[in-house]
Amino acid sequence: MAGDEAAQLHLLRRATHGPTPESRAEIARLGTRGWLEAQLNPASIDDSALEAFVRRFPNYQRSAEDVVRGGYQAVEWNLMFDVGRITLARQIWSRRQLLEVVVDVWNNLLHVACPSSDVWSSRQDYDRTVIRRHAFGSFADMLVDSARNPAMLQFLDNSSSRAGAPNENYARELLELHTVGVDAGYTEADVKTGARLLTGLRANDAGVSVFDASRHDAGGGTVFGFSYPAHAPGDGFRWIEAYLRYLAVHPATAARVCRRLAVRFVSDEPPASLVDRMAQVWRAGGAQIVPVLRTLFTSPEFAASAGAKVRTPQEDFVAALRTLGTGMEASGTAGIVKLYWHTLDSGHAPMAWGAPNGYPDVAAAWASPSGTLLRWNRHMDFAGGWYPKELQFKPANQLLDALPSTWGGLVDALALRLIGSPLGAEERAALLQYTGRGAGTPLGSGDRWVQNNVQYLVALVLDSPTFCKR
Amino acid sequence: MTSPMALPTARPTATGLPVKSRAADRCACDEGAAAASQLSRRTVLKAALGAGTAGATAFAVGDVSTQVSWAGSGWTGETLVVLSLHGGFDGLSAVVPGGDPGYYAARPNIAVPRATLLGLDQTFGLHPAMAPLMPFWRNGTFGVVHAVGQDNPSRSHFAAMQEMERAAPGTSVRTGWIDRTLGSTGTGSVLNGVQIGVQSPPSFAGPVQETTMNSIDAFSLIGPGDDRATWHSVLRRMHTGATATVAQPATTLLTAMEDVARIRTAATGPANGAAYPAGDLGAALAQSATLIRSGAPVQVLTIDYGDWDMHAGLGRVDAGWMRDKLVELSSALAAFATDLGGKLATTTLVTLSEFGRRVGENLSGGLDHGHGNAVLLLGGPVVGGRVHGRWPGLGAGQLLDGDLAGTTDYRAVIGEVLTKRLGAGTLSDVFPGFRGDALGVVRSR
Repeated sequence: MAGDEAAQLHLLRRATHGPTPESRAEIARLGTRGWLEAQLNPASIDDSALEAFVRRFPNYQRSAEDVVRGGYQAVEWNLMFDVGRITLARQIWSRRQLLEVVVDVWNNLLHVACPSSDVWSSRQDYDRTVIRRHAFGSFADMLVDSARNPAMLQFLDNSSSRAGAPNENYARELLELHTVGVDAGYTEADVKTGARLLTGLRANDAGVSVFDASRHDAGGGTVFGFSYPAHAPGDGFRWIEAYLRYLAVHPATAARVCRRLAVRFVSDEPPASLVDRMAQVWRAGGAQIVPVLRTLFTSPEFAASAGAKVRTPQEDFVAALRTLGTGMEASGTAGIVKLYWHTLDSGHAPMAWGAPNGYPDVAAAWASPSGTLLRWNRHMDFAGGWYPKELQFKPANQLLDALPSTWGGLVDALALRLIGSPLGAEERAALLQYTGRGAGTPLGSGDRWVQNNVQYLVALVLDSPTFCKR
Repeated sequence: MTSPMALPTARPTATGLPVKSRAADRCACDEGAAAASQLSRRTVLKAALGAGTAGATAFAVGDVSTQVSWAGSGWTGETLVVLSLHGGFDGLSAVVPGGDPGYYAARPNIAVPRATLLGLDQTFGLHPAMAPLMPFWRNGTFGVVHAVGQDNPSRSHFAAMQEMERAAPGTSVRTGWIDRTLGSTGTGSVLNGVQIGVQSPPSFAGPVQETTMNSIDAFSLIGPGDDRATWHSVLRRMHTGATATVAQPATTLLTAMEDVARIRTAATGPANGAAYPAGDLGAALAQSATLIRSGAPVQVLTIDYGDWDMHAGLGRVDAGWMRDKLVELSSALAAFATDLGGKLATTTLVTLSEFGRRVGENLSGGLDHGHGNAVLLLGGPVVGGRVHGRWPGLGAGQLLDGDLAGTTDYRAVIGEVLTKRLGAGTLSDVFPGFRGDALGVVRSR
């Protein structure tokens, strides 16, 4: 493969939920830099087909307050499921792919489990007004908005925290998970002081985020280097916001969040040199996200990391649908609903991780036999167009424009079409073993084996270790 | 009124199409498939003969290398079954404190009348729907621990479940207790930890590889039809030399599927005349019994049996939601104990629920979220025929915010099974910071 083409494929594997023939053509036209800049400016990319699909879920646009007004019985957990379904649909069909990958990183960093009991009315609001709104903006703004969103206030219990009886849950995870990290050197006293400072910030019974000065502990203190005076209770939110913005640009946050981005996009053990440069950009830019991403994607460390990441089972599932060219259902949502149940039942639905720390993003955490079985069986479902029937599957025997003249050529052509790069020798030999033919055996255009069995061969190509590479 | 934190009503369960309808999509008419399946039939025949020979002495799953590693891990060969009664099981309706006047005072409309109770002791009686368990009560293999709770009681289903399965309150530990258990007692088989059902439980979170299967039948590839041997061979070869994080789980999976296929082939259905009730619970317990009877190295097996969130319309002693659930639960447990036969001697089943329910009934004839709860114990190791635990009482001054207090930490119950029966050494990794009391709910080996 030519160098340009390899670099393009590498970028697509990392910056999207999986290459497609269309995205490969697009990046070949724009070049890696042009493609990257377009993706970093998602508004410049027409995504109207996907957005029309999202409108099939009208509740998604509602505020938490509006949903609370309608009552629990009106939505139960369905609105949270819808957020997962919409996210899944976007991962598969949005043309703003880098945005979707970055959204996934932030969803796992500032994690609010979806579904979970207390965010039935607010998780869609969190998705729209916190994560997506700031995904390519300022991390400081995202952190402040996450702290005061009803979803986070309920999920990590700050709503039930008040002066005299602080709940430390959010205050602790803010340091440990959202910003500086558990090894940053803060103390239990920092956690306790932080919890006192954060009192008063809550979601009220109407589902509205409020600062309730009567519940705020207005004493002064110092949290992990951030000092604030005793203040009028009514000024409490000003000091809370200052604390959050202090944390967002703290060197430990810069290093930790940049490392997390590098783990996502470069390797499970990213080079310190790259993380250091990203962290400098983070701090210099006041936690602006796009310059950090640009530093990452244009770095030599990124370029040198091809093949170093493995897809999680859920990413694999999405990548398979993408490369097969599976289309969204013509009307309704039954197909995406079925896909979503699959991911939820498999324990991999977007944002469904139960604990506050979000899904892990390293291969070792996903090295699971059960996960492998799910991956292989979904490949078969999709390659055969078996399930969910509502999606618009392309017949497996129409994936190739022209039938190669030999069986070896058939395996190679399918690999190139589905993965974009050649298979390893053992993978190729194994697939030929499946066909029961030699590499050089001539292939007739009317061969009935191909007509009927190519779907199984396609599934096995997707089962190959090469397809697992992100 | 239903609490805003109630669990959602039932949704469609696992959405995978039945294998049968998938098979209908396949074309079996072509020459290539015919040739391939002839080949595979021969291979399968050979494999079956091999398994038959091995099966004459010990079950095929317990192969030599596994046996050796069992010894190394300290595992005794026994099994803990955790039946999760998600939704908030009302232990007070199942193991009824009929001798405590506070019970009838708090539940004027939904109490189980004293005359209908199956007497256990001076304080407690079983709901009459649980009659199928009385023979096991009498022969000492069914017992109860009452007033069990967890630290840091949350009234949120989600938070309480997460905390119960993490089982490390007051720490930042992010793994689940079953994963930590298998970290010390595991033999390296992915069948050490098995969930029968969909979605791995939070208690599996962590580095050990457990298996989640909806059923023994579903733990297989959907593509090959009769051609499994060919597919397994192709997949094995394809992963030769691949990066370990991909290749290792793949080859482990292929071996596990082959082990489970032998179990499936050898399975003869429920034994000893066991009759499971229709429904998911009966099916899951029947699958569990098949696995345990096969001799597969299953150390901890988990099943979810939800729909206990009875905020409204709990029903009466002779009809309704609670009665129907208890009939299903009790008949399924009785069938499981019967089906296990000799394996009951080395199997301990424990029920857990994220919280109990409020002592006082609400205006909808239901019960809101509470705290202390009953844990049911079934199995040969159980010190049965007794209600264990310290009863805190239901008097006005004895309740905890209107709830039954928890006087026994659920970790003490599990911990005793792990140390006395499964061969776990110290519990300091499994339940960090927990110093459990000796309860005497199971016998030492």
